[in-house]
Parts: sequence; C-alpha cells; structure tokens
Amino acid sequence: MVAFMTAQLTKTAGLRRTLRQLAAIAGTTVTESIQQPVAFLILLSAVLMTLLVPVFQFHRFSEDGRLARDSGLSCMLVFGLALAAGTAGRSVAEEIARGTAAAVIGKPVARATFLLAKWLGVLGVVALFWCGVTAATLVSERCSAHFLTRGDFTGYAADPVTLLLAFAGTGIALATAAVRHYMWRRRFGVSAFLGVMASQVLVAAVSGFYNRFGQLYPLVGEAACEGCGGGHAHGAARLVFYHPELNLRVLPVALLVLFALAVFSALATALATRLQTGAALAVCATALLFGLAGDSLWAVAPLLSVRGLAAGLLPDVQHFWLCDAIARGGQVAWRYVAEAGVYALTCCALFLTVGCAVFRERDLG
Amino acid sequence: MAMDTKNVIETRGLKKTFLDFWRRPTVEAVKSLDLTVRQGEVFGLLGPNGSGKSTTIKMLLGLLHPTGGELRVLGARPDDMRAKARIGYLPEVSHLHPFLTPRETLRYYASLFGMTRVEAAKRTEELLAMVDLAQASDRAVGRFSKGMARRVGLAQALVNAPELLVLDEPTSGLDPIGCREVKDLVRILAKTGVTVLMTSHLLADVEDVCDRVAILDGGVLRAEGKIAELLRQPDAVRFLIEGLDDEAAESLRLELEARAGRRVRQDYPAMSLETFFLQVVAKEGRARDFALAPFLARPAAGQREGGTCAEA
Ligand SMILES: Nc1ncnc2c1ncn2[C@@H]1O[C@H](COP(=O)(O)OP(=O)(O)OP(=O)(O)O)[C@@H](O)[C@H]1O
Ligand SMILES: [Mg+2]
Repeated sequence: MVAFMTAQLTKTAGLRRTLRQLAAIAGTTVTESIQQPVAFLILLSAVLMTLLVPVFQFHRFSEDGRLARDSGLSCMLVFGLALAAGTAGRSVAEEIARGTAAAVIGKPVARATFLLAKWLGVLGVVALFWCGVTAATLVSERCSAHFLTRGDFTGYAADPVTLLLAFAGTGIALATAAVRHYMWRRRFGVSAFLGVMASQVLVAAVSGFYNRFGQLYPLVGEAACEGCGGGHAHGAARLVFYHPELNLRVLPVALLVLFALAVFSALATALATRLQTGAALAVCATALLFGLAGDSLWAVAPLLSVRGLAAGLLPDVQHFWLCDAIARGGQVAWRYVAEAGVYALTCCALFLTVGCAVFRERDLG
Repeated sequence: MAMDTKNVIETRGLKKTFLDFWRRPTVEAVKSLDLTVRQGEVFGLLGPNGSGKSTTIKMLLGLLHPTGGELRVLGARPDDMRAKARIGYLPEVSHLHPFLTPRETLRYYASLFGMTRVEAAKRTEELLAMVDLAQASDRAVGRFSKGMARRVGLAQALVNAPELLVLDEPTSGLDPIGCREVKDLVRILAKTGVTVLMTSHLLADVEDVCDRVAILDGGVLRAEGKIAELLRQPDAVRFLIEGLDDEAAESLRLELEARAGRRVRQDYPAMSLETFFLQVVAKEGRARDFALAPFLARPAAGQREGGTCAEA
C-alpha cells in the first residue's frame, strides 16, 4: 500500500515536473522567437498587406469586402506558414546545431517532452500572429467600401475612421515598443510583436462603438445600425450602444486556417530535428502547394494513383481552406470546425510521433 | 563483467563510432573504454585534443548513443530521468539562449528540474551571487564575454544541487581568479560528498584538485590511477624549509650529502604565476569576496610559496 502510494506520488511529481518543463521550454521558445526581428516583420507585413486592401481597392468582386477578407486569410496562411517553419527551424534545428538543445536534454528532460514543448512554443507564436491577422482581416473587411441605402444616403461607404485607427494603432505600438526599449530596456521585438497584435484586436473591438460614418451609437434607445454592412436583421432587445459591424462568419474560417498552421508547425518541428530552417520551409511550402492543389493537380496524372498515396502522407489542406464557403452570406458550421480540429490534431500527433522517433535516435554532439 | 552499482560512473567496453549521412563510419572517437568513478571522488579525464573526452561525457549524459559497451551513471542508464535529475553538467562550450539574461537563464534551468517559481528564484539569486554575476544579471547573455558565459554555465550546472557534477573544461575562458574559484568550488563540493568528473587541458588545475585521473588518447585509456601514485618518483625525497639563509642552507646540504652518501641538489622555488597574479589583482579582498569564502577552510594545495627546497 505504502509502496503503491509512493509510486503514485512519484508519478504525479514526475507529471508535475513534465508540465513545468513543457511550460518553461514553450514559454522560452515563444519569447525568444518573437524577440527575433523577422517574426515581428512577418506579422507587420501580414497586417499591413491586409489593411492596405481597402485603401488600394479599385475593383469590386462579386461581393463587398470579399477581396479584403480573402487577402487577409491568404496572408494568414502564407505568412503564417513562413512564421511556423521559420520559428520551428530556429528553435529546433538551430538549437541542436548550437548545442542549446543538448544543454536542455542534459537535464532530466525527455526528448519527447522537448519536442512537444517546442511545438507548443511554435504554436504559441503562430496563435499570437493569428490573433493579430484575424483582427486585421475583420477590420479590413469592415473598412472596405460597402453598398448602403440609408434614409438620406445611397451608395458606397467605406470606414476611414476604423482604417485610420488600425494604422495609427500599429504606429503607436511600434513607438511604444521603442520607448519601452529606450527607457526600461524592454525587448523591442517582444513589445512590438505583442503591441501590433494587440492594437489590431483592440481596434476591432472598439469599432463596435460607432457606425461606419464614425457616429457613436447612443447609449440608450433604438439601435442606429444603419451603416451596418452585415446585412442581417437586428432584434430590438440587443445591446444598442455596442454593435460590432464585423463579419464574424470569418472566425470559423480563420480558425480552420489556424488548424492548418498548427499542422504545418508540427510538420516543421518534426522536420527541423533533421533539416535546416531553409529545407524545412521548402518542404512545408511544397506540402502546402500539394495539399491545396489537391484534385486539380492529381487530375493531370490520372493513371498514377499517387493521390491515395500522398493523402496518407500529406495533410489535405483543402479541408482547412474554406474561404469560398462564406461568400454571399454563407456559413461554416461549427460542427465542421470541430471535425476539422480533430483531423488537424491527428495530423499533428502523427507528425510529432515521427519527429520524436527521429529525434530519439539523433546524436546531439 | 558485472557492474557495481555503488560506483557513480561505470563503463565497460564503451565504444562510439561516428557515422556519416550514409551511415558509414567516419571517426572512432572512443574505443572500448573501461572507466570507474567512485562516490565522492574528483576524477580528471585528460587527453590531447580529439582524444574522445567530450564524446565520453556526452555518452554519460545520454546526448550521444554509444555504439557498443555498457554504461551506468548513478546506477542507471543515461536516459533515466531520475538519475539525470541528480546530475549537473557544464558543456564544453556554454550553450545559452542569447536573448535571456543570466537570471532568466538560471530560472529557466531551475524550472526544468520541476522547481516552483519561488524555489527557482531563491536558487537563482544564490547562484548569481556565487559566480559573481549579480551586477550583470540583467544583461542578455548573448553579449557576455567568454568567461562570463562560462560562469553562467557553471551556475546552471549547480542549479539542482547535484550529486554528480560533470564539468567539461570548466576553466576554459576563465581568468586566473575564475580558475582559482572553480578549483576552490570543486574542492568544497567534493568535501560535501559530491562526485566530480572533469576534463581540462590545464594539467596544473587537474593536479590541484583531482584525486584520480585517467588519460585518454585516440579513444583508448592509456593510464589511470591516483595522482599521487602516478606522479610519485619512488627514488627521490624532497624537503621544503622556509626562512633559512644561504649559508645555513649550504651547510645543511653538505651535512645531508655526508649522511646520505649521495649528491643532494638545492634550489629556490619560485611562487607560481597564478599565486603572483592573484596577489597583484587582489585589491581589497577581490579574490576573497567570492561568496564561497566562508567555506574556504584550507589553502589551495600545490601552492608553492617562498622557501628553500632540497631534493635528494
Ligand atoms: N558529432 C560528431 N561527428 C563526427 N565526429 C565527431 C563528432 N563529435 C566529435 N567527433 C570526433 O570525435 C573525436 C573526439 O572528439 P571529442 O570532442 O570527444 O574530443 P576531446 O577529447 O573532447 O577534444 P578537445 O580536447 O579538443 O575538446 C574527434 O576526432 C572529433 O572530430
Ligand atoms: Mg572536448
């Protein structure tokens, strides 16, 4: 009995230690990665490219705001992939080469714990990036010109106030990071990355207090939702002073992109146990290309049943890319998102298992 | 041969051959090594460059997989986490996260041993004071000088109060004060029962602190034993007399020669450069304000100061 309890206690102690290790390694990976100027530049590029769409939009496609939304989601996928592969490469491949990984494995840290923690760290960086770009996409779609009919107004109305706020927020975040670095020696990269991300989320949230003509909603009384581009009916009993005119149908689609990025993070982390950053990025980009091209590519070679073969090896990115599904008011069911989440988790588990097996055999000399 | 679990480190026929991409052998770094390190001793692993010292150490820590042979560290295989939790390791080159400060680095390593935040913070401050880095503790280690990084590395190796301390060239990059401090530290730890395995190219350092040494060459063990035994010249005796003037020394020499019936040589030992350096830079207790000072009971062995030395 005593022996059993001791065994259980050591097990819990072991579990607690493993959890602490996961948190410490993943946390350090996040800090160290977003400290790198390149991480912050990737976020800034994705956010600016998304926000610039309403500024330089000369064409209207089938639907108001669609161009902004689609570019935002594309930026999220492409830049996110670069960020995931780059972060994994730096924090796994380069740490192995530099010997930092050996210093950690020299402690009571299992190799599997190390790799899992690295993946969690990469995922953390990608998730922060995702928050920023998702917010920027929502803002960008809102700021695009929408066709409106309001008592005295008929025509296209953009939302210059929110757009200005979004750009100003980015600028203020950079300035704050510089000041924090100058005054208190806080890490510039970390402050800038988190600041730009937070500024976009904040602007998206604040934009709910006014309509696209910049008029604040009254605190009481009937909702003055005339500028709303959402095209939905507003119940009388809803909050009147806060009305987020954001296309929240983007969220499930963006979440699917995050799942895809999680899968690529796992792939990149596994690859980085053997390959250098550049090579890992190249493999991930190829996987993305093949995964997205899907049937159209394989149709070229109908004789070869490589599709079936590749399906077993590569994640089917098409499951995670549902931009078209929300066109013209379409919805993506949350049930689908949940199923895709399970699929993504399975892919991650597979890649990480293979990664661990490879890493276990590797000499860290 | 059966392994004795009482030994802290025990290897039997340990081999390591590095392979290339196509799994063809490239270097035979360690060839059939039998090594035993006992509880509480300070063991020195010596050898020329490329003789396989670091390779051996990395195998002990489970960083490299042996190609053959048996290996037990603290009675367990090198990948046993419970055994690893009792080991402290200073790698040959201090591998640190360049963006972290020493304080963050030590807290990070402390948390890898499962310490809570409070425990980790406490241990960190103790260690920072011990390696004399408290003033530089908020600068990124990436910009540290080699010796400063080495100090962080050393502190990191002690974060878990290890039973076995593995130091791969602990004094490389350190100034003479640092070297001396490391040697003092090793001695103090050894007194408290910690087993130490260290490599070094500075033979004088090894001679100062190690109880036993092994000499590796080309991955093969060439000699092993207690330093005193290995270095003893059985047919010579040496006396050290302080405060004797030249005349008295000469007459004593003649007397000894007459008594022994052999030639007696006489010389004046110089103080070592290390001692001289320490005296020059020892501004107001500089060498002593090292936080270990309270533990420093006995003066360093092998420290030869002025006096007459006669050798027969
Ligand atoms: N990862 C590796 N891949 C291939 N060969 C290696 C590797 N690590 C070490 N070697 C080779 O193994 C041999 C022993 O190297 P090791 O680092 O153990 O030497 P050492 O005794 O520590 O030398 P030094 O005193 O210079 O530190 C050398 O010939 C070295 O080139
Ligand atoms: Mg070496």
